[in-house]
Order: sequence, then C-alpha cells, then structure tokens
Amino acid sequence: MDKHRILERLTAVVIDGTEEEAKTLAQTAVAKGIDPLEAIEQGLSKGMTLIGSKFETGEAYLPELLMAAANFNAAVAVLKPVMDAQKKRMERLGKVLIGTVKGDVHSIGKDIVASVLDTSGFEVVDIGVDNPSLNIIEEAEKIQADVIALSSVMTTTMPAQREVIDTLKEMGLRQKYIVIIGGGPVNQEWADRIGADGYGKSAVDAVTIAKDLMARKK
Amino acid sequence: MTNFLDICERAIQGPIMTEKDFDMKVFMPKLSELVRTYGIKYDKDNPVPCDDKAADVLFQAAVDFLVSVGIYCQDTNRVIRFTKEEILKGIAAAPGTCLFGEGKEARVFGMRRPDDKTVPWLHVGSGIVTTTEEMFTNKVEAYASIPEVQSISIPALDSIRGIPVAAGSPVELYAAIRGVKIGRDALIRAGRPGLPICNLVSTAASAVTTIAASAPQFGLRPTDGWLCGTVAENKLEYGTMNKIAYLLNWGGNVGAETAPILGGYCGGPAGTAIASTAYMMIGLLALKGSYQLHFPVHFKYGCSTTRDVLWVVSVSCQAASRNIPMPVIWLGYMAGGPNTKMYFYESAAWLLAATASGAPSVQTPHSAKAVKIDGFTPMECRFGVDMAKAAAKNDRGQANELVKKLLEKYESRIDKAPAGDRYQDCYNVTTGRPSEGYLRLVGEVKEELAGMGISLA
Repeated sequence: MDKHRILERLTAVVIDGTEEEAKTLAQTAVAKGIDPLEAIEQGLSKGMTLIGSKFETGEAYLPELLMAAANFNAAVAVLKPVMDAQKKRMERLGKVLIGTVKGDVHSIGKDIVASVLDTSGFEVVDIGVDNPSLNIIEEAEKIQADVIALSSVMTTTMPAQREVIDTLKEMGLRQKYIVIIGGGPVNQEWADRIGADGYGKSAVDAVTIAKDLMARKK
Repeated sequence: MTNFLDICERAIQGPIMTEKDFDMKVFMPKLSELVRTYGIKYDKDNPVPCDDKAADVLFQAAVDFLVSVGIYCQDTNRVIRFTKEEILKGIAAAPGTCLFGEGKEARVFGMRRPDDKTVPWLHVGSGIVTTTEEMFTNKVEAYASIPEVQSISIPALDSIRGIPVAAGSPVELYAAIRGVKIGRDALIRAGRPGLPICNLVSTAASAVTTIAASAPQFGLRPTDGWLCGTVAENKLEYGTMNKIAYLLNWGGNVGAETAPILGGYCGGPAGTAIASTAYMMIGLLALKGSYQLHFPVHFKYGCSTTRDVLWVVSVSCQAASRNIPMPVIWLGYMAGGPNTKMYFYESAAWLLAATASGAPSVQTPHSAKAVKIDGFTPMECRFGVDMAKAAAKNDRGQANELVKKLLEKYESRIDKAPAGDRYQDCYNVTTGRPSEGYLRLVGEVKEELAGMGISLA
C-alpha cells in the first residue's frame, strides 16, 4: 500500500471504520515511515472534516460523529508517541472546558457541542453535568483553558451561567477566559445581558464563534 | 410485576459501567443493530404511515432494545435491566387507565387506537415560564375556561419578589409553592377547582423542591399528576427516583416524562422510532408511571414538526397505542411562536399525525420551542382543542395527505421560524383577552384549513 492510499484509508477509517481498524492503519502508517503529522492532517483530519460537514447538513447524526471522534483519537494515540519523539506537535485551535451549569442534568446538547468542537480541532475537556460555578472555574484554571463553554437547557438554570461570569469577575479572572454559552432557552440577548463573549445557537455555530474569538484573542 | 423498590435495588446491584461506555458501547451500537435486524426504515414520503404490521414489528424491536440495553442510573453507574418475560408480563398487567381530577372533574384517562374516531383526552397549557403572577392567573383561568379541557399544565414562575429562581435554591422552593397556590386559585376562579394539574411541580427543577411543594396544604392532591423525567437517552438519576418513591408512597399519579432526541444518541429517524417506543415501556416498568408525557424532538431544530420527527411520532405512537397500555399525553414543540401562522400550520400537522396514530391524549403544542419566556397564550390552547377534535375525524391515510400539504406551508422555513409574540404583546394583560390582530390571524388560518377540508369549530 503506497502513501497516498494509506492517507486515503485513514480518512475513510475515521468515517466508517472501528477503533481497532484505525489503530492498525495508524501502525501501518508509522511502519511505512509516513510523517505522523501528515497522517493526521492529510488523512485523519480530512475524515473529521467530512463527517462534520455531513453532521451539519443532517446526513450524519451524533452516533456517527462520536464514532468518528473515537476512531480519530485511537489513531492519534498510536501516532502521538512518534510525533513526541520527533518533537512535533499537532496544532490545536485552543483548549475548551465544557459542562452544564449547576442544577442542569441535560447532557445531549453539551455532548454534541463537545464532539463538534473536538472534531473541528479544539482540545476539549468535558466536565459533565450539574457543575457548581466555583468547580467550573477551578477546572478551567487546572487545565489552563482558553474557552469556558456553559450549557443550560432550563430557564431556572440560566442564572448559573451569569453566576460563573460574575464569579470570574470577582476572582479577577474574567479577562483570562473566553466564555461562550448555549442551550435551548439561551439567546444572544441573554449572552449580552450577562456579559458572555459569545452565544452558540447550534453546535456548528459554537465552533464558528469559538474559532473567531480565539483568533481575536491571539 | 416488579415494584419500585425492585428498580431501586437493580440501580444498586445491576452491571456497573461508565456512562460513556453505556452510550458508546451499548446504547448506540445496539440501536443501530436493531434498526438493521428489524428492517425499520424511515419513509419520508409518508409522515403518517398506515401499516399495522410495521407498527407491531417496531414494538418487537423496542422490546428487544429494552432487554438488550436497559436503563442507566447516573448516580450509581449501574444498569437497570429487565428480562423479556418481565416486560411482557408488565405490559399484560398494565391497566391502560389513570384516574385524574376531583369531584365533577374526576375522569378516567384511557387508551385510543390508530384511526380511532374518539376525541383524545384534551390536555392544555404548558410549563413555559411566565414572568408575573397576574399573567399566570389569567392564563390558567383561560385554559380551564375551555369547556372541553380535561386536564391542564400550569406555567413556571421565573422570579419571586424580584429574585430570580435558581434551580435547587430556596428561592425555587418559595416560587414553586407560590406557583402551585396560584394555579389552584386560578382553577377556582374558573369554577373548576377539581381539574387536575398534570405537570407538577412546574417551577421545581429539583426533587427536594418538588416534594416540598407537594405537601397537601399547598393545594395538591394525589389525583393531580407529577412529571418524573428520564435523562436522554435511557438514563435515570436519583432526583427523579426520589420523586417517584415519594409519590408512590403517597399514592400520587406519577407522570413518566420522556423525550427521545432525533439526531442525538438515537441517530436517525429509524433508531429514534425504536427508542421512542421503548420509552413507553420504561415509563410503565421503571418509572411506574400511571400516565406519560412524551415528546420526541429534533436535536438541531429543537422542535417536533420536521418531517422526520413527525414520522417518528406517528410510527412510535402507532406501535405504543396498539401494544402498550400506557395512557400517554403526546406533546409537540413547534418552531413558530404565538401570533404567527407558522405556529398554527405546525400545530395542525402535529395534531393530525399524533391523533390519527392513536395518541390517547394530545397536549397544546408548545410554541417557540417552549423556550420563549411568556411565549405561550390561551389562543394556542383553544386552537389545539378545536384542531384535536377535527383531527380525530381523520384516519391515518387522510391525516397523511393533510400533513403533507401542511408541510409544504412551513417545512422550508423551519430553520428560521418566527418566535412570535409574548402574551403581553398579543393579549390585554388586565382583561385577559386576545388582540384584534391575533383573532384576525387565527381566523385566516382557520379559513385556509377549511379550504384543505379541515373544519374547525
């Protein structure tokens, strides 16, 4: 199998392969001496872009997206030690801490946004549901996040989004983070009122906003 | 039949696994496999199919799915499992009825079948947030003043004495108790104090608030209904289980609240149809519901009126109505809001799909995806009642043709649906009467529907 064919198969394995197949193919790429960064950028990432486009147009759903992300990560786990040895780094767009706020246990919307951010090149740390404000901030500090993404699906948990932002201000940390918000009852007006940096109407929207805000930050 | 303590025990003793493994290694692959095994196929050309055999195959797939996947308890990280025999015995033992209301409003809520010409149980109102107590009272009084109405949902309060309601806070408790009292008082003002409130406790997000506000001195009775929800998909947490344990000890009506999300973990329409049908069995067996509130929605659009979600509603409603004796209140989320024609086109389509498919009850379709504060009015309730009565005159074949015509009117605009007006924008807040403009708009919609052969009172 030549290099071109391996890169094509890396793209394909992300979309409709298994984690085992992705690992095996990544091992083949390493064995054939393909630059691991090239294997990611010209192979695996193309698959992620394709599945992301299908998700956006409604041709793929969350299961396909999650499976693709799992395949991608399985292959990267094989390639990363080689990259580390070569002192090469995979370019990530930024580090995002994502979770639902205190009192909100609805995870699917947050899961979708996390997956789309991941597949779009962000490093994502998902802290799950029902997070007290201070915990969110502590986690963001711990991982040195660039972006804090807060999900709220109920009108009664929306005030907790404001609480995170107000607490960041009180702690003198507001300028350190980009804070984006989302969820069913959330809108731009609410984002403006509580001083969020951005509002994502959809998962794809959230990625666009996060990219834009990260570019401005840099 | 298993009782709720058995469920609690299984939540402690069932197989342990991480939530991620449950989603990735159990739920999603099994659903995908069963879609193939049972040959479940989405038919975009027929949003309201007419195929009893296919409905029964879908039911079998849903039984298989529940046996294979179970329900995940998020607090214990264990899976609550059922055998096929337990499921079938539970279904065989289910009464298919629920007693609601007091005095002259006391009624038995029961089942309907696909193509059933009886009018479904008419449940009106919503838990959409209302900002003032005055509007709250006006709305509930107006809902209850619709003579055909058999049960209602009351709004949620977003603040009390100007303090915003935060989930799980003491302020939430004050607001929840206040909401319950206003709701009951409004029913008294409408002359129907015995009418059951079936979305309790609307202002309470947390279990402790629900349980506290349910103390009888605040006005609630076991013949009202409490919503106890699963987390999408196939997940339960202790908050919900605590509410159920309390209600079962008191003898209150547990309303199993379930909402499969098309495009989420269920994948496409075929997988969502299986999960949607299985939820009726989860409501019956795991949540011990005496009734159910069920509302499939689209992950991207946040509404129930896309063509694929209408199909899911129709087929899973047919499968459940034919095979699972659980009185379900079917609820749809509309993309359009109050005082927009879009809302009424969607509402008509959704009510036709659900009613002709055998929905035991239909609730007033919720406006503006149920996220617009004050974005719900009694006008939608009145229309919903009239439309449900009109829809009951149609069989699945007729409903299918009408739904297709209605889809032509709104389908292309669903992504940019108008959120419409707030109550105070299209109603006189003091008198509780709709504006001339809103009355005119509804009149125009009724004329359009009449032109399609749908005659509303």
